[in-house]
Amino acid sequence: MVQVQGAATVDRLRDEIQGVRYRDATTTFCRLVAEEDRPLKDMIQEAIGAAAPYVQVPSHLMRLPSGEMRGVNYDHTILGWRGAISLMGELGGKRGILPNIQAMWYVPQGLNVWEQVVCEFPGHYARDGEQCNRQFPGPDEHVNRFDGPAWKPPKIYFRDHDPIEDGSVEDRLIRMNWAISEGDKAEAYGLFLGLAKDPGARTRLKDAILFAGITDLQDTIINRGGYQNIGHKALRARALVDIADYLGWDNAHDLIYTVVPDLGCSPRLYGLWTEISNICRMEIPKHAEIPKRSDKPLTERELDILTEAIVWGGPFDVNSAIMGFFKRGAGILDVGDAVMVCFQRYLIDVLEHPNAFLHPTHALDYMNVVQSWTRGYDNPHQVKAVFMGARFMNDTIRSNAIYPRDPKTALEPRWNYRTWADGIAIDQLLGVLKRHVLAQDAPRSCALVDSYLERTTERHDLLDTITYAACHWQNDPHVMRNCSSSLEEYRHNRTSRRDDIIRGYVKHQARYVKRALTHDCYQVFAEHFQPADA
Amino acid sequence: MSDDQARLGELWRIRNAAAATLALCEEQMQRAVREASVEQLVSMIETFSPARSTGPEWTRTFEPLIERLWAWRDADTMAALAEVFHARGMPWMAVANALSPDQGALLQANLRHPAWARLPAFALT
Repeated sequence: MVQVQGAATVDRLRDEIQGVRYRDATTTFCRLVAEEDRPLKDMIQEAIGAAAPYVQVPSHLMRLPSGEMRGVNYDHTILGWRGAISLMGELGGKRGILPNIQAMWYVPQGLNVWEQVVCEFPGHYARDGEQCNRQFPGPDEHVNRFDGPAWKPPKIYFRDHDPIEDGSVEDRLIRMNWAISEGDKAEAYGLFLGLAKDPGARTRLKDAILFAGITDLQDTIINRGGYQNIGHKALRARALVDIADYLGWDNAHDLIYTVVPDLGCSPRLYGLWTEISNICRMEIPKHAEIPKRSDKPLTERELDILTEAIVWGGPFDVNSAIMGFFKRGAGILDVGDAVMVCFQRYLIDVLEHPNAFLHPTHALDYMNVVQSWTRGYDNPHQVKAVFMGARFMNDTIRSNAIYPRDPKTALEPRWNYRTWADGIAIDQLLGVLKRHVLAQDAPRSCALVDSYLERTTERHDLLDTITYAACHWQNDPHVMRNCSSSLEEYRHNRTSRRDDIIRGYVKHQARYVKRALTHDCYQVFAEHFQPADA
Repeated sequence: MSDDQARLGELWRIRNAAAATLALCEEQMQRAVREASVEQLVSMIETFSPARSTGPEWTRTFEPLIERLWAWRDADTMAALAEVFHARGMPWMAVANALSPDQGALLQANLRHPAWARLPAFALT
């Protein structure tokens, strides 16, 4: 173990986070938990608080000197924490700490996104996506200065505000949603802070912020560049709700500061929401009365029809298929479950290029927010959200399909390895699977999972193996977020095809492009927590 | 004969009629592809760029077109096409890779054309 000088303190952690010293911050975080016995929950709260002032941007669209617009990425620090907190219980014990260490590793790299995309602040966007060091190298050509540390303090684009507490709860909820949709960040944030103080309003507040996030979604990403949000408003809302429940709402101020102002940030996109609202009003005027579950879930033939619409059809094919299911009496979650499994065929059968997973799996994570909102709250608009999720999935598939396929990224068929996989003893298979996920060998990983699913009804250890292997990859909160979405949806899915969620999950985690091919963060975790597999 | 048996027969007749229509279409396409200049083929391939494509349904037919080009045009023509798109850099890399000789050899080796079939087993969509 590397000997670190000086005491591990929360002040030190804060300085290292804000100074973009992510390796140091991760080590300090580990020491605080493992050596100083500070509760993990408290340290997560401290880390969120250290980053909170520096994750807002003026807009997610930046006007360039030419007059054209470019997109500015969304904060991902909070999404890493949400995934990590969710996975803690899934993995259990010391292994469950790993996703939190990954979230910590990412936080200092994800500050000041606006400055990062113009190469004025270090972090993973500046280092990787923008390749800033090529444009603005430092004195040492062997050092990428955009890997950190920071050479100036991060910038605050949105200062903290006081709670707004005047008016009834009903009035303030309406004002908050109006403020979000009109882009009045200060009003929305102040109202949320005030409402969050009232435990009696909490369920309605959570429902309202999820509604606000879900309804803000682009109608297409095809050739739109940065004029989209790929579901990030919904993902942020979900992160807020889950993490606040974990930390306790009395401890959630910095979390709220991290999330809520961005809900009102530009662009705000209500085209798809308006379309779906209109067609529901015309075709299923009593959509608010549709039950969560019915005794008429989708038949196998209907699952095939929906798969065809989502994976190979166009937006109106998707509208038509889903409309038909609701009109003949299917429940909201019946259709939502079907959307989730039908989409998996795209992951399982079609996707090959490692970069091409990014947008479709954002749609999967968005659909997970829709489903969890439907499971946990009662809102008359939930039928519409199922359309939104399916349309988002279909659009990302169409967006990928508008690029000619590159034969150089073709994958070998999984069935080439089926005989090999069937020859591995069942009690050895998960160890082999872990190695092949870590080797990013998708055909063999998928063949192993196909074999396992047919040879045993055991699923917990299989999901655990895929998840733990996935959490070895650093610099990317998408990994943890998708893990938590896939596990949650698998657990709740009631279709006959729910194992397809596992097939899609392993393909994603064994193929999706990696931001780093080393496991430095895992090594820091292993040094401090000594998991059994280290 | 049961209703199901009759339906199977009817469906097979419909399928055969569609196949005959498609075979005639493929033969027309084959003549057009063989007669086209390199410039005309370049223009055709350019319609698969994201900015010019009429939609995913069009772009998804890129690989069926590439398959037919490798089946119906000579190596010199394919090399000329590859050179054009390779020179355009990263945005056209997928197209250049599809026109590369090793990809052509792979496609030609895998294109099944049994003696009883009027056409090779081209991809439809």
